[in-house]
Amino acid sequence: MGKYVFKRIYQLIIVFFLFLVTSYVLFDSIPGNAFQNLLLNPELPPEAYEQVIKLYGLDKPLSERVILYIGNFFQGDFGYSYKHYPRTPIELIAERLPRTLMLFAMVNIVAFYTGFLIGKILAWRRGSKSETWITVTSVFSYTIFYPWFALMMLWFFGYKLDWLPIGKFLYPEKWYDAPYDSDVIFVSMIKFTAVVSVLQILVYIFTRNIESLNLRRNARFAGFIVLTIASLFYWNSGDLAIQKPYAMDIAYHMILPIFTVTVVAFAGTALLTRTTMMEVMKDDFILTARAKGLSQRRIRDRHAARNALLPVVTSFIFTIVTIIDGSVLTETIFSWPGMGQLILQAVLEEDIPVAMASFSFIGIFALIAHFIADISYAYLDPRIRIQSQG
Amino acid sequence: MNILEVKDLDMSYKTIDGEVEAVKKVSFSVKEGESFGIVGESGCGKTSVAMSLLQLQADNGKITNGEIIFDGKNIVGLSESELREVRWSGISIVFQGAMNSWNPVVKIGEQIREAMREHYPDKTKDENTKRIIELFDIVGLDSSIIDRFPHELSGGMKQRAVIALALSCDPKLIIADEPTTALDVVIQDQILKEIRKVQDVLGLSLIYISHDIAVIAEMTDNMAVMYAGSIVEMGKTSKVFSNPKHAYTRMLLESTPSIVGPKKKLRSLDGEPPSLINTDSYCLFSYRCPTPDDNCKNRNIEMELTKIDTDHYADKCCVNCG
Repeated sequence: MGKYVFKRIYQLIIVFFLFLVTSYVLFDSIPGNAFQNLLLNPELPPEAYEQVIKLYGLDKPLSERVILYIGNFFQGDFGYSYKHYPRTPIELIAERLPRTLMLFAMVNIVAFYTGFLIGKILAWRRGSKSETWITVTSVFSYTIFYPWFALMMLWFFGYKLDWLPIGKFLYPEKWYDAPYDSDVIFVSMIKFTAVVSVLQILVYIFTRNIESLNLRRNARFAGFIVLTIASLFYWNSGDLAIQKPYAMDIAYHMILPIFTVTVVAFAGTALLTRTTMMEVMKDDFILTARAKGLSQRRIRDRHAARNALLPVVTSFIFTIVTIIDGSVLTETIFSWPGMGQLILQAVLEEDIPVAMASFSFIGIFALIAHFIADISYAYLDPRIRIQSQG
Repeated sequence: MNILEVKDLDMSYKTIDGEVEAVKKVSFSVKEGESFGIVGESGCGKTSVAMSLLQLQADNGKITNGEIIFDGKNIVGLSESELREVRWSGISIVFQGAMNSWNPVVKIGEQIREAMREHYPDKTKDENTKRIIELFDIVGLDSSIIDRFPHELSGGMKQRAVIALALSCDPKLIIADEPTTALDVVIQDQILKEIRKVQDVLGLSLIYISHDIAVIAEMTDNMAVMYAGSIVEMGKTSKVFSNPKHAYTRMLLESTPSIVGPKKKLRSLDGEPPSLINTDSYCLFSYRCPTPDDNCKNRNIEMELTKIDTDHYADKCCVNCG
């Protein structure tokens, strides 16, 4: 395993280097540059434009700039944003990233879990009426034109029913005298979610060895209750008690985007799970499981769904990258000022340092995600584990 | 005392072409501690009988008539949850392909423990593990196999482990459905010995299903010969072998080489079993009967077992044919 991991990391570094060079060259090949609109100002002497170009080093040849950029990149120097001058790309990303991370991590997890759950049930109820209807609905929501659908959701829930806010991630009027910046709140929300998820997984792992199924179920339920109570206490203690109303405000704004994206995104997973699981259900070991007298639920979850998981996890890993680049569409429609909008603006305005920094960040994240995918395959399918040892 | 009694069992599969009557009027009984063999060509309904006993037939298969009395209780028509109790702790089964009987992503030990957990919910993990080690000892496996994944085992080891799995919930009856078909002759012999040893040690009843008549001769006390979904000859194994009454049984015997006695040319059986879609009740072997009489040719005689001797029954039609 160690050798395998080392080999993968070595490959990752090469891929990342190629990724950096390619992105830089691609950005450079966009016609014009970030300061071209200075030329439109008749009162500005042409020398001023030359001066600015020289100041930012844009007069140097491409090869020299690429080498300079990569050199600086590995020293942790990302330069300054052209458009938001005194701020660095890192500052901009640090501001935007938590917003996107919080929203899209939630969206992805909810959409995939729903999709997997529904796909599982569809495969299990093969041939029933409910299967037909849910499949038809899934195909419909899979093929729907997303921007239109998102606008309809905004119109219906935000305007017509007036249940949920239209766009933005907070009500500005509530935040006038807020003692905290919204980013602080986002960070504590992310921290909280991550810790709770890890604890939940730990409860799951520690109860795995309980032999009696009833006891195991009860232990897991107890763990869940304890976690819920603990989180209530946590949010009412010290600093967090002050942060709570603001966190609630953000959470309230997240409901509609999460719901909308889930409706559109769950279907792909559901249909994929359905197909793979129906394939697995033909296998002989499902018959063995039935002959053993196991409950339907256990056969479905432990034997059929477990073996159908691999392709589903693969597709999850590929979409996980959207957790940080966000979806430009979603962020634009719901006016969610996250990474997606930052990248879109940076590219349109040719703000190369910001665009490059964001893209390298996404690149690193994508590579790490794929690395984790490779490792988790080995966990999910022991047959891969053996080959990877060699 | 009969542990299992099957009376007039009919089972059919619904298909697009019509109803396939895979099991027709099958009756037999298995005594406690006895081993009972079912032999026949592929497609004769042997596995369908086995699956009907546990009611694990495919979704389109349905038991249309008959009773299966296991341990004094009719198990036809029981609800799924009642059946779950009978399965494995009452009747367990060793499937044809041991290669595919294991879930590839779950450890062997866990897959056995899973069954034990279902039927003995109060036992601890240690007790279960101890029991598995005992069982592995009986079937000749090392205790380290518990923590192995199925793909790490050879075919023979998997088959041994499947036998251990079948024994894990102390069943009263084990169905062995061609357990050695996928294995080479040496391993086959070892596995057969293992099964017999287990049967002796634990005093189990066994239903042994095979297309290999030699294995049936070696393994069983009583046997039935199946053809086209019906039993055509049934009786004490020794009697059936020494005095086969049905032409089909004779031909099965003649197509198997013997290592004792003078050299004989092996005969093969022409044709194949008939389609079982919407058949009539006349003797279905008449298509392939080597010595048909007029009644057989005209298909006048219904299929029914008739007594020939104590513990020896054969199909009416073929007894007349000679």
